[in-house]
Amino acid sequence: MSPRRLTPAVPRRAVLGGLAAGAAVAAMPRRIVAQDKVTIRWWSPQSSPEQLAAYETQMRNFEALHENVEVVFEKTSDEGYAPQLAAAFASGEVPNVVTHLPSFAVSNYWRNGLLEPFNDVIEMIGPDKFYEGANDIYEVDPGQYAGTGIGNSAANMMWLRTDLMEERGVEAPPRTWDEMLAAMEKLQGGGIYGAPLPYGRNSMTTLIFIGFIHGAGGMVFNPDLSVAIDSPETRDALEFYKAMRQYCPPGATNYSWGDSLTAFVSGACATGIYTGRVLINVNTQNPDIADHVTCVRYPTKSADIDFWTFNDFPSVFIPKAAPNMEETKQFAAFLFDPEGYIQQLHAAPGHVLPVLQTISAMPEYQNNPIIEKYSEEVDKMAAAAANGFNLGWESREHQPNAKAGEIVNSNVISEMVQRVVLNDENADTVLSETATRIEEIMNAN
Amino acid sequence: MTAKAHTAPALERGYARLGVLLIAPVIVVFSLVIVYPLLAAIYLSLFQIYTPTLQGSFVGVDNYMDLLTRRAFWSSLWVTLVWTFGTLSLQIVCGVGVALLLHQNLWFRSLARSLVLFPYFLSTVVAVLVWRWLFNDLYGALNHGLMQIGLIDMPVDWLGSMPNAMIGIILVGAWKYFPFVVIAVLARLQTIPEHLYEAAKIDGAGPIARFWDVTLPQLRSVLTVIILLRAIWDFKEFDLIYLLTGGGPVTSTQTLALLVYQEAFALNEMGRAAAYSVGMMLVMLVFMIVYVRHSGREG
Amino acid sequence: MKLLRTVAFNLFTWSLVLLIAFPLIWMVLTSLKPQTELFRIPPTWLPQSVTFEHYWRLLTETPFLIYFRNSVVLATATTLFVVTLGTVGAYSLVRFRYRGRETLALLVLFTYLLPSVVLIIPLYLAMVWLGLSNTLMSLVLAHTTFALPYALWLLRSFMEGVPEDLESAALVDGATRMGAFKDIILPQLLPGIISTALFTFILSWNEYLYALVLVNTDSVRPLTTGVMSMLISAFNIEWSLLMAASVMMSVPLIVVFAFLQSYLTRGFGAGGVKG
Repeated sequence: MSPRRLTPAVPRRAVLGGLAAGAAVAAMPRRIVAQDKVTIRWWSPQSSPEQLAAYETQMRNFEALHENVEVVFEKTSDEGYAPQLAAAFASGEVPNVVTHLPSFAVSNYWRNGLLEPFNDVIEMIGPDKFYEGANDIYEVDPGQYAGTGIGNSAANMMWLRTDLMEERGVEAPPRTWDEMLAAMEKLQGGGIYGAPLPYGRNSMTTLIFIGFIHGAGGMVFNPDLSVAIDSPETRDALEFYKAMRQYCPPGATNYSWGDSLTAFVSGACATGIYTGRVLINVNTQNPDIADHVTCVRYPTKSADIDFWTFNDFPSVFIPKAAPNMEETKQFAAFLFDPEGYIQQLHAAPGHVLPVLQTISAMPEYQNNPIIEKYSEEVDKMAAAAANGFNLGWESREHQPNAKAGEIVNSNVISEMVQRVVLNDENADTVLSETATRIEEIMNAN
Repeated sequence: MTAKAHTAPALERGYARLGVLLIAPVIVVFSLVIVYPLLAAIYLSLFQIYTPTLQGSFVGVDNYMDLLTRRAFWSSLWVTLVWTFGTLSLQIVCGVGVALLLHQNLWFRSLARSLVLFPYFLSTVVAVLVWRWLFNDLYGALNHGLMQIGLIDMPVDWLGSMPNAMIGIILVGAWKYFPFVVIAVLARLQTIPEHLYEAAKIDGAGPIARFWDVTLPQLRSVLTVIILLRAIWDFKEFDLIYLLTGGGPVTSTQTLALLVYQEAFALNEMGRAAAYSVGMMLVMLVFMIVYVRHSGREG
Repeated sequence: MKLLRTVAFNLFTWSLVLLIAFPLIWMVLTSLKPQTELFRIPPTWLPQSVTFEHYWRLLTETPFLIYFRNSVVLATATTLFVVTLGTVGAYSLVRFRYRGRETLALLVLFTYLLPSVVLIIPLYLAMVWLGLSNTLMSLVLAHTTFALPYALWLLRSFMEGVPEDLESAALVDGATRMGAFKDIILPQLLPGIISTALFTFILSWNEYLYALVLVNTDSVRPLTTGVMSMLISAFNIEWSLLMAASVMMSVPLIVVFAFLQSYLTRGFGAGGVKG
């Protein structure tokens, strides 16, 4: 992939011109597009080189079918999308299609009237191709879909090193928290830490810890969205999370997704907590351990509490103010065209899992070295993700929570973890303050 | 103006008109990129506003009441003051110290100068990345080095716990910005007349006494300005802290700039963010007025 | 004895200098290590095998060069714009008498107090209104918000350091104001202009927040946000590439400053930055 192809908009003059001339030319606005040409802007925070290559295929395939359309990919980032979209919505200069944002961002924008109903696109894709219930989370208002999933993810899988388990006498993957602590005791040592759990003031800590609250049998909100976080279950989760601190690297207090993943992939931690992205990273960055990794669903407090999989439901949506709505919808539907979609999924096999059951069944999808090598793990993740939830939708009984994004971004839950685990503050005080702050956010606006 | 005696009032008026003409472009640009956004910010602070749509309802001074009654603003203000004071004093002390050293005859002096000035030229992004890599708990050079010397047994958590995180950002801030002080002080040192030192030597003053009696008074004016400029920048600093700790652990390093950013873009409360930033500006203004008055009186 | 003192002084100062420069040395060393060596525990001090693959990958497989060009264009345009406006403005503020001049000078200092975070959204709206959204020009204007007050302020104190009688003499000899400005003031002010230009260039080259919010396309993204978003993501932090990118982001500055270093200090000396 050449850099030039990524940036078709660079005028040749600016490249060739002298520095001063280049400055003048490149600094000029360059929105001059041929009259009849329709431009579709596509934003996503996911842009690894392999994914970009897949997007490229999708865009060129679409352009081949629609001669008057030019699709431009513009990347955003997990920490940058909020201000960028805010600026875009405020000005009306919105992208046409946005993918891979968590589902709760979609419901928030929907509630504020910023999104185009996605029903047409789902019709174009074919509603019966989706896994059953896959679009429920996007049905914020009855009968109207705010978007759909571009994939599923199982983000809190527990990754294990089978070689270390064998060497240190851990016979089976832990099922309960007690077993987990016992396993940690054995696995830690010799320069290797037990687990890369995040204790940072960031969204990962919030999202992962919500999984632990559910792992104790609790929840953040009741199904009617009244705040339920101040509960004995949350106290149990905090206690366990605190007990785990000694098995995590010292810098875990600042860990986010990338650090946590690297800590497992580099071999510094005996277990990991992440999506299927682990598979490709292990194979490219640390092939020595590639034959010794497997995953299970993250342990819960006791065997009678069911697993709770965190699925951030990477989404697709269309801003209401987007120009050229007809072409935009066609393109959004085209994202699910098997050729490009499978290449996109293969960019990180097991990381983003298909939302269409028709795709999962295709030999083209199954035919990938990683998916073949780890077929058991991929199946396990697919099953877990299909039954996954997040703060925007904590269980099937829950109403979609349009404020989930603000709660995650406010860091109120990760701050709670830090105050109890790192600062040793009294859990009762912290919990009641946290509950109050969450209520405030729910009531704002 | 010495030219005054030779010029007629008509010429004088022409000059004034020319002066206004010359400053006009600056005023136009200022109005566009500063005055308009500033007025907009003050206007926004009177509303409760959902950031992505910039729509909301008029709430009067409610946001300012929030500011006065909530802990968030005041604790962030305290953090900002600690950070500004900590990093600024380190910058000044290190800057003056290093400038004095680099003013001496040193082998390969210009190479040494370039190396010292370099952190200032570095992007904040680059500086933060390099330091995060140095601070890394598992693969970082800092922990490894300290463990090799035997100062610590276990890797230290540099950015995730207190007080380390505050010390960390203060250190990195000082490292990044002290060269600015070096540049200015070095320039000033070169203009101090040699005979002042000679005279002090004859009076029997040692190197330390010479520093206090000759060098420091000469540096006073330049230091006054540097402190003002750096204090304003440090108070506003966003990139470095945001990228290094993101404000954590809990809110221990969440300065006002980060708080405003969080309100505006994480909580989608543009109105409150605007009110907080107006508050932030007023605090700076008060400090600046006090400082300028104070240093003006002494000078 | 004297020799011993010299040696001791040099050793001390140089070890201090090296300590200050250590992060930079570490940056270079890291960029030369192969990925596998990077995550070794404990870390190696010197690379066991030296590789340039990270540099090669950056140049051939990523839009690094485009970001680089954008940053150069952006910083250069900002510097030209700001220094031109600033020089003329400072000349007016220092050498002319008209009503509101003092207030204006104070206002300049006040604008310097504005935090960038406050200005972003209104500024973005203004850019859209001007039809400049997602262009380098919008970043040039945004950088003006902090660079112009600063430059104006520096230039004003440099301008005060230029003796007035030279200009008066030229006026007596029949030169026009603008003629005197061009022939007398500008040459005198040159070191000040150069050092202001350098400071402005640094500010613009290093800016992050506006670049994060105001532009979204790779074709106009500068290095700061480009490198961050390209190499740091939720699934990987490419430390080796980051360090290589950091080295390459810094090289042009080293070159420029190696040549202009003396101006930097001379400018301050000549103008004698005053309050």
